[in-house]
Amino acid sequence: MRRTASMLFSHAGAGHRGIPQALADVLVCPLSKKPLRYCEASGCLVSEAVGVSFPIEDGIPCLVPKDGKLLEDNSEKSEQEPIPRDSSG
Amino acid sequence: MALRAARRLAFCSRQGRRLLPSPAPAPAPAPAPCNRKAVPAAAFLHSHATSFGYKQVREEEKSKLVGNVFSSVASSYDLMNDLMSVGLHRLWKDRLVSKLNPFPGMKHLDVAGGTGDVAFRVLERIKSVGHRAMQGTLTDTEEDTHIYVCDINPNMLNVGKKRAAERGYSGEHCLSWIQGDAEALSFEDGSMDGYTIAFGIRNVTHIEKALAEAYRVLKRGGRFLCLELSHVDVPVFKEIYDVYSFSVVPTMGELVAGDRQSYQYLVESIRRFPNQEKFAQMIQEAGFQRVEYENLVGGVVAIHSGLKL
Repeated sequence: MRRTASMLFSHAGAGHRGIPQALADVLVCPLSKKPLRYCEASGCLVSEAVGVSFPIEDGIPCLVPKDGKLLEDNSEKSEQEPIPRDSSG
Repeated sequence: MALRAARRLAFCSRQGRRLLPSPAPAPAPAPAPCNRKAVPAAAFLHSHATSFGYKQVREEEKSKLVGNVFSSVASSYDLMNDLMSVGLHRLWKDRLVSKLNPFPGMKHLDVAGGTGDVAFRVLERIKSVGHRAMQGTLTDTEEDTHIYVCDINPNMLNVGKKRAAERGYSGEHCLSWIQGDAEALSFEDGSMDGYTIAFGIRNVTHIEKALAEAYRVLKRGGRFLCLELSHVDVPVFKEIYDVYSFSVVPTMGELVAGDRQSYQYLVESIRRFPNQEKFAQMIQEAGFQRVEYENLVGGVVAIHSGLKL
């Protein structure tokens, strides 16, 4: 996984969400069935319970277990390439 | 109207609704085409072997192979469905949705429905129901309606999103697209009023895991409905259907979709899928009650249903 020099940490309670509210309300981690957190820095959905992040591609959350990426530690990692934003809705 | 006539035809050999009877004997092994080598018995005994059509593959491989099939056919998927079923798949999906009986405000999950076929029908039906009841006024209830489309294949989801835009649904906040696995759903326990899976459960690696997940995400009183190609048991029709499946469908796949193998997989996987009785039993074992099924066109497809009570 790519690391950048400046580590960006997600801000708790950030207003913008990468996915619509109605969707965020029912989505859980496919592995632990625990809540997911939207990480603005990476544009991913993070499952704290198992330390896995799931990408959002073209506004479609990708929650297939095998496509999840293990987080190396508890902090968020930002990625250099631009993150595709929610294009739906 | 032609549609009406076609509809009659589609259901002409339909058998009545049948309640789940006593456990059925294990389905007879599917007839292997003569040019194929018989799979060694040991392959069936190996606990980690699963079927990919008539081929025995390792479990991890099945999802990859199925993924390849659907990525390969995504663009011609609808056309092939129309050709193979002579347009009947539309009526079957109508029937599925009419059994679901969607209502305004419902939360519905359609699994393996990437192209949106079922989701659009549910949405249209809710709109017509809502408007009939409320005489055209948009109510709060209707705004609560949400349909979640979950598919493991991103290509199918992209086809669906594109079709949603073409139909003017891109502004709808009640449609969501999620890439996910039927065996490990990413929805909260007890969050759905309805669950449908049309022509999808045959392709999952562990059917019982998918059923357990369906049960988990449904609310009490929620309805499970599954439309799947099934087993024909009508003597002469069965022979005709076999010839059609093993000769016509793969050739059609080669000519139209440029992919014979994917359609060879399709017809083989249909024969490997548990028969109506066995599948009904599996649904019951997952915890569902009032399990029943309806055969359409003599069992070419069956709609299984169950309630989480």
